Amino acid sequence: MSLNDEKKTPENEKDGRVVFRRKGFQFLGMGLQDYIRVFFGGNASLAIIVLILICLFLLREAAMFFPDHHQGLKSYRQGGQELVGYVSDEVDAHTKVYSSANIAYFAEVGRTSIHEDKQLRAYRTVLANVEQSTKYTWARLERYLDEAEDLNDDVEDLREDIEEASADAEADAEDLKKDQAELAEIEARLKQLEPLIAKEREQLEKEVQTALGTSRVWDLDIAARGLSDEELSMVREAVVFEAYPDAEDEHESIQNLKQVSRDKKAAEAERLADFKETLNGIRDSIRPMKSLYGEMKDISVANRREIDAFSTAPARRAALLAGVEQTDDPAEKERMQKQADEVVIVEPDYDAINEPLYALVPQHGELAGPLQDEMNKLFRQLPQEVETKSARENMKRAAVYYERFDNTVTNNRDRILDWRHDAPLSLWTSTTSFMFGKHWITNSSWHDFYGLLPLFTGSLLISIIALTVSVPFAVAAAIYVNQIARFKEQSFVKPAIEFIGAIPSVVLGFFGILVFGEALRNISQLEWLQWVPGFPMAERLTILNAGLLLAFMAVPTIFTLTEDALNNVPAAFSENSLALGATKLQTVFRVIVPTAVSGIIAAILLGFGRIIGETMVVLLVAGNKIKIPDFTEGLGVVAQPAHTMTGIIAQELGEVDSGSLHWRALFMVGMVLFVISLLVNWAAQRTLKRLQKI
Amino acid sequence: MKTYMSDQEDQMTLEPQGEDAPVQDQSAVDALETVIEVDHVNFAYIPGTDVLKDISMNINKGEVTAFIGPSGCGKSTLLRCLNRMNDLIPKAGLTQGEIRILGTDIYHPEVDVIELRKHVGMVFQKYNPFPKSIYENVAYGLRIQGVNRKSVLDEAVESSLKLAGLWDEVKDRLDSSGLGLSGGQQQRLCIARTIAVQPKIILMDEPCSALDPISTTIIEELITQLKQEFTIVIVTHNMQQATRVSDRTAYFYLGELIEMDVTTKIFTNPSQQKTEEYISGRFG
Repeated sequence: MSLNDEKKTPENEKDGRVVFRRKGFQFLGMGLQDYIRVFFGGNASLAIIVLILICLFLLREAAMFFPDHHQGLKSYRQGGQELVGYVSDEVDAHTKVYSSANIAYFAEVGRTSIHEDKQLRAYRTVLANVEQSTKYTWARLERYLDEAEDLNDDVEDLREDIEEASADAEADAEDLKKDQAELAEIEARLKQLEPLIAKEREQLEKEVQTALGTSRVWDLDIAARGLSDEELSMVREAVVFEAYPDAEDEHESIQNLKQVSRDKKAAEAERLADFKETLNGIRDSIRPMKSLYGEMKDISVANRREIDAFSTAPARRAALLAGVEQTDDPAEKERMQKQADEVVIVEPDYDAINEPLYALVPQHGELAGPLQDEMNKLFRQLPQEVETKSARENMKRAAVYYERFDNTVTNNRDRILDWRHDAPLSLWTSTTSFMFGKHWITNSSWHDFYGLLPLFTGSLLISIIALTVSVPFAVAAAIYVNQIARFKEQSFVKPAIEFIGAIPSVVLGFFGILVFGEALRNISQLEWLQWVPGFPMAERLTILNAGLLLAFMAVPTIFTLTEDALNNVPAAFSENSLALGATKLQTVFRVIVPTAVSGIIAAILLGFGRIIGETMVVLLVAGNKIKIPDFTEGLGVVAQPAHTMTGIIAQELGEVDSGSLHWRALFMVGMVLFVISLLVNWAAQRTLKRLQKI
Repeated sequence: MKTYMSDQEDQMTLEPQGEDAPVQDQSAVDALETVIEVDHVNFAYIPGTDVLKDISMNINKGEVTAFIGPSGCGKSTLLRCLNRMNDLIPKAGLTQGEIRILGTDIYHPEVDVIELRKHVGMVFQKYNPFPKSIYENVAYGLRIQGVNRKSVLDEAVESSLKLAGLWDEVKDRLDSSGLGLSGGQQQRLCIARTIAVQPKIILMDEPCSALDPISTTIIEELITQLKQEFTIVIVTHNMQQATRVSDRTAYFYLGELIEMDVTTKIFTNPSQQKTEEYISGRFG
């Protein structure tokens, strides 16, 4: 039976047989069902196509990073900057030793005068607060007082003139009269000023008293807290005394305090004279090396300029020639043509430009050995026993830095001798110096470094904090809500936790800056919490702050997924366990949680993915300092600011030239993030599959 | 003559028992010794609508008692009342009457339900080993009681698996997952898990309904053996199974106990009209 025959018969039956023919909407051989299928399938495939396009775009832009980066590294070597970099490392390492020891010294010097300094600080804080709230009246009063003073001077002058004039008979009567008139005028003005000044003074006094009555004014700097009532009333008196513009000197008690503080410091300084002398020795020991470094640096900077000029010359010339094509103005055209012709493309003679650097290498060798010996001697002379906590910490740090300095110099000796500007640079270097580079320095007049390590450690530290805090909370909350809570609690707690996920991260970041960071810092200053590593914190925007906020953000993700995993555990397990005489808690922790454990791990992994990909909060709260955190402080490292992989992209991508090396480096950072997320998701999927097998 | 009430070991104790609690092993049991007394019990899931109405029965030690009846007649509900599994359902509870097991009113406020369930084990319709090894499945009941000595556990696992007739099949792979066994084996593993805690009574809620005929036969044989040591109450839909395994049978209909008697009598000469209609297959 052919198709045509079917169409002619509207009935479904033909010759007594049922014909299973399609009915309803038909177009181009496809029915309504087919079109619906195509529509939904098309949407799904569109998403996949977009994903593939994004991947391709990312890949292309990121892959171009390596040749460009390689070129940059090559210039760095050819210009001799690499060599100078070694010397610079030595100088930097030395500076760190000196500054740590120096901080320790000043902490020691101020040891005995802590109490006086505390009072002085309180005085300054309160005074500043009072001045802030009385500044308008203060300014008015000051203006009147200045005017009055000027006028009084004038009056005195005039009086003298008049006296002289009256004594001298020859004087011009006219002048005398004029002076007298002027005097009268000024005195009138002075009379006028008197009530004004009195009024302002009264007003100022009122304001000062009001200000001193508010607690905000007494919100002392943390270092100035813990004064007795007596001392506070002394501060109050001194502030009242100082609050007027015509106060000549500071209050007596403040002057005394200052004197005592100075004396005590001087006494301490005398006691620590050896310390100071050693410090000065350390400071001076680097001088010859530093001047050698300066000399070398100038040479290599000039070299680099020459190399860069050469490598950008063709592009510059092309741009000028293109300009010639585009302008209509003949004069302009000629000027540009001339400029284009002037661009010379001559490769610098690398041997020649590095010659002066090689000449300086022996000099470095002569300096390095004695420097090491001297530092060794001086470092041993530093006092081993120090009194204050800050000094102890800084001395400990100085010891670590000294070790590093010594190693740097030792390691550099051969490296500097063997260094060649034309040593081959393998392609692999551009990858390793990106992945393991310790510096991310851009727009620098020296050399741009694109090292992932500072960003990666920042991201990692923040994620670790966020996970260690959020996982116990979220998992415990999920177990509680799913297994233990009553229905009423459940229906309250669950939406409440899930609501956290609805808070925009930028709002959370705002909260982190304004409220949480400040609160955290205040807590870190508490006396009885000083045993916590990293406390007291100097900064508001720190790894810890960002980590805790991210923990808060990750809680709903981990909570919801963990709760799902627990929900997926068959109810029969719980029933079986209870029937064996297990308590509810035994059932939860011996049967239900172990059964759901792969789901919980997947939840944690997805939470990690959420944390490491989060941008806004870390950009606002992490402090954005592009530097590998200083791990010499142990766990206290979390009190430092850091930058993250996500944050750097958000911050810098908008400001760089598209296609530049910097631009591509940011794409590479994005690629690394992408790969991390991919791995995390893949691992999560795998563990989830294991759960489903049960 | 020794009656069970005077026997201290038979008394239901409310304190947790030590790991070496005496095993109840009286092979020569007086067949008419009552261990479960159900006394005019009404039960409701939702207050106001009783699903069990005025049930009274005695279940004897060392016997297999079968509960039969059409779906929704309350037989499973009664079974779950016996180890208070119904406590898991909010608002459900006895509205009248008492259930005494080994002489103790199990719904008395001072009764520790955990302790009760150690004495009254349960095997469910759907076999459900935990996602742990075979060994850990059987040892679970002892571990939650705080038994952690390897030798004690080893012994208990071996004897329980032997009793459940599973030892020879799994002794070489005690560390592999309990979920890797066949359905019948898994159900026997669950039985082994239940008897490892040495309960006095085992409740079985349609233990064979999810199994194939061969596995069913094995389980049925197992039940006949187990009654040497345990009092067994079994709910079943399968009347042949009731005739094969049980000593006594109780027929429930719409929440009421219609008739309870020796199994052979129920199936050959029931005294109630409704019972006869059911067993002859006229409805249900």
